[in-house]
Amino acid sequence: MPLVTNLASDVESGAELVTRASRGDEGAFEALYRQHVGRVYGLCLRMTGQAESAEDLTQDTFVSAWRSLPGYEGRSSFSTWLHRIAVNAVLARRRSPQGRNEISMTDDQGGQMDFEGEPAMDEATPIDIERAIAALPPGARDVVVLHGIYGYSHEEAAGMLGVAVGTCKAQLHRARHLMRARMGTENAT
Amino acid sequence: MNTIPFGPRNPSEDPLLAKAAELPKEVEPQRDLWPGIAARLGEAPRRAEPRGSRWPMALAAGVLVASVSALLTWSLVRAPDPATQPQAVATDYQAADIVPVSYGPNSGLTAQELVARDELVVRFREKFTTLRPETRDAIVKNLAIMQAAADEIDAALAKDPASGMLKGMLVGTYKQELQLYSTVVTSSDGTTRRT
Repeated sequence: MPLVTNLASDVESGAELVTRASRGDEGAFEALYRQHVGRVYGLCLRMTGQAESAEDLTQDTFVSAWRSLPGYEGRSSFSTWLHRIAVNAVLARRRSPQGRNEISMTDDQGGQMDFEGEPAMDEATPIDIERAIAALPPGARDVVVLHGIYGYSHEEAAGMLGVAVGTCKAQLHRARHLMRARMGTENAT
Repeated sequence: MNTIPFGPRNPSEDPLLAKAAELPKEVEPQRDLWPGIAARLGEAPRRAEPRGSRWPMALAAGVLVASVSALLTWSLVRAPDPATQPQAVATDYQAADIVPVSYGPNSGLTAQELVARDELVVRFREKFTTLRPETRDAIVKNLAIMQAAADEIDAALAKDPASGMLKGMLVGTYKQELQLYSTVVTSSDGTTRRT
């Protein structure tokens, strides 16, 4: 991670930085960027499966956040607020002609990527899990990323994705089924 | 956003979720993205700060929706004369800036209703970028007010789940959101900006 040129993040609370940034302090906003870029990029990367797209979306997220920051009222944590913007950016890109033309690792049914020899669940490394998540169809992958990795409740994840809570739960069920099938543990649990 | 956890979340009950929960939350990009962001900050006009009284947001949303409809209608019946165009600078919002209203866990909206909304949003996004900047600006402000209204109503419903009035207000906000999208989707080319 690059050195933080503005050391404000070391001495100020996130709330103070948000207040300063909302008033137009770019230094404070850079400090917020340094604090949160890892989580935002991680979310975008896992939802898109493409590093270049994730970088673009991360930048779009922070620019949108800068625009909208004066209206941020602290009803959710700043991190959650940023994630919500990031998820919206990812979904918007997917719907765009550019997003539709991007190569996807899966079709909508979760097929295409073949993980022959995938290790069993007990032996799976974090990389194995990341690969299995990346191979999921977008809707199921989104829920695993938001709920499974980042710990959002079904209600929160559904709100971010603009779907019903029941849909969110169904997608998680589907994701678990697909991942278990890939890892050869369908009958083991 | 109001967050009400959905029951106990116990990853240990599912080894798959347990392993997913152990993955690192932070992934650093391979390059510093800040310079690209900083270069765009000056080009990104900031939204007005909504401060002061937040008196009936749902009503305010209705008023603004009416204003957007009026703006679109005005555009339909009166072709703009560049010489008389107001010089006010509107934020150049793009489709990616559109954030559909997020309804909380107490909304009671059905999956079908949300799916219908999302389908309309797809068509709305396609039309949005063809609108004039001042119209897009008004639409984004509308959506922000609707979101605030939905948040407030949802919070109130959490305390009073049986309130018919609150449920009616929330459905009203939902209908206003649909009306906004529908107004844009069904507007003619007369509303679009000239290039």
